[in-house]
Amino acid sequence: MAELWYLIIADPMLNILIAMSDVLFHSFGLAIIGLTIVVRLILLPLTLRQTRSTKAMQEMQPKLQELQKKHAKNKEKLQQEMTTLYKEAGINPLGCIWPLLVQFPIWIALYQSIMKALATTPENLLDLARHLYFWEIISRAMPLSSHFLWLNLGNPDSTLLMAIIVGGTMWVQQKMTTAPTLDPRQQSTNSMMLLMMPLMFGLFTLMFPSGLALFWAISNLIGIAIQYKTMGWGYLKFRLPGQPAKQ
Amino acid sequence: MKHTKILFLIILILLSLGIASCIPGGGQPAQGWAGTVFYDGKLYAGTMDGSVVAVNPETRSIEWSYAISTPSKGMSCGGGGSSPTAIYGTPIASDELVYVAAYSGKAYGLNGATGRDRWIYPKEGYIGPIVANLVAKGDTIFLSSSDGKVYALDTTYGEEKWETEQPLNEKLWTTPAIEGDTIYLSTFDGFIYALSVEDGSLLRWSFKADAGFVSSPAVHQNTIFVGAFDNNLYAIEIGGSEPVWKFSGDSWFWATPVVKDGIVYAGCLDGKIYAINTETGDLEWDFDTASSIVSSPVWDGDLLIVASETGDLYVFNTKSKPENKAMTPVKTISINAVIKASLCVQDSIVYVRAQNNYLYAVDIDAGWVSWELSLSIKEES
Repeated sequence: MAELWYLIIADPMLNILIAMSDVLFHSFGLAIIGLTIVVRLILLPLTLRQTRSTKAMQEMQPKLQELQKKHAKNKEKLQQEMTTLYKEAGINPLGCIWPLLVQFPIWIALYQSIMKALATTPENLLDLARHLYFWEIISRAMPLSSHFLWLNLGNPDSTLLMAIIVGGTMWVQQKMTTAPTLDPRQQSTNSMMLLMMPLMFGLFTLMFPSGLALFWAISNLIGIAIQYKTMGWGYLKFRLPGQPAKQ
Repeated sequence: MKHTKILFLIILILLSLGIASCIPGGGQPAQGWAGTVFYDGKLYAGTMDGSVVAVNPETRSIEWSYAISTPSKGMSCGGGGSSPTAIYGTPIASDELVYVAAYSGKAYGLNGATGRDRWIYPKEGYIGPIVANLVAKGDTIFLSSSDGKVYALDTTYGEEKWETEQPLNEKLWTTPAIEGDTIYLSTFDGFIYALSVEDGSLLRWSFKADAGFVSSPAVHQNTIFVGAFDNNLYAIEIGGSEPVWKFSGDSWFWATPVVKDGIVYAGCLDGKIYAINTETGDLEWDFDTASSIVSSPVWDGDLLIVASETGDLYVFNTKSKPENKAMTPVKTISINAVIKASLCVQDSIVYVRAQNNYLYAVDIDAGWVSWELSLSIKEES
């Protein structure tokens, strides 16, 4: 199983990443950015499906809340009504989860490729030899330089900058799709999640090699761009000081 | 519904990160592969749990151990806080002291009798992680570090004699080779540098290859033999600007080659040991061990001993004539443990510190493992 994983997904991705660093001015940072863009483009149909599904689900929220109020004491009836509502709207409630699940192996492979290619320890460098193709471009690119901008891609960013970028872009991306709700409990959960995920990834950024943080940041930026294209700024409302909130 | 989905999402992300960072495909932590050295009836080795141990081969027991730890950085599967450091370089032993360098970025001079540290370099802080073996010449120890610099230390007090002015590369993981008054160093970006033993200054000659060098250099009769990332073994004449010859394998020549009687013997990660004519670069013979060769071959008289990563020791009689360039080992002895560390031969016994943290004494004449000893300090106590 592991061999199949490397043969089909992980090794091709690793070798493409290394080859890209040779093409992109021997910069592994640019290679990470390049491959992240390529992977996001390949996954674009799935991402669009997920975004549309999320949007449709959000648009249904008022109707769902109405049903929840109406059948608060009859769970069975509520379930039936909700299923009917989904069917009528042509929505699969798990529609936004499945595209995400399909993407995960790709993200894991990309993560592994970055970690493996950086070869931060001698063990990693030794292991890397087993996964490289016998291509001239690969041997020309080896070993990769881990310096990019102010970052050492093999180490966590010692400044807070990358953590702020990763957390900030993640917050924006989430904020764009998090619909406000009248239910105070739901609203409180949403607010908590809106903060928790960026904080969590900000924390990961301080712990994982910054090459990975670069991948997260670029991935978030592309996600924001895709969401902007399909939904506009969504629920990301900027309010100037003194400007009253829209009702 | 929304709660469940968000929770599901968080768990999924955490699981993915956890799995991705802990499975072998992710980043592997530095574990080390320090070899063993024999001196004055004792064996000195670096262990997998970050200690240097002195072993008495007669009693087959650990006489002393010296633990080296390092503050943890970043996220690792092993947790945070202070953790044992990895040791890659094989210790060097002298009449009084045992010298060892650690991945944490410090070098140590330990009392050979007691295991207490006589000196630590640097006293405060750390230089870059040290992966290469230490090299001793006279009263000086030379070490290359991941900060890209070469350091010369006094053997008695560990005081710095000199360090190279500029980093020679982003990181130096290869062991310098000393010939006369010159230090030769191969770098990941494809340079061979010649440095003065006296003050570390760069000498006039250097060599630049098309590919980076992955192995440490071996110097023999004015020629440097070194493996590169383009799967070639290079023969470079000192003073020359073009390689004398290149020999192509199917992977990297990771292990430092050894030279004897006009033949260079190079272990490759493609699993083969190649015997190559030093003058012409022609293949004399090869043998496929079917597993990567990480550690350098060693000699026991005319017998060449080669370890495969999967734990087999192959003994070749280099005086025998191979048929159709295919050599057959006279003996194959298995220790059934991963071998990455340098081998040590003494009185026809090969000492192997395997990656399972055991020390194996392999009797070459008898063809079996004579004894084995766990180097884990916890088990010992």
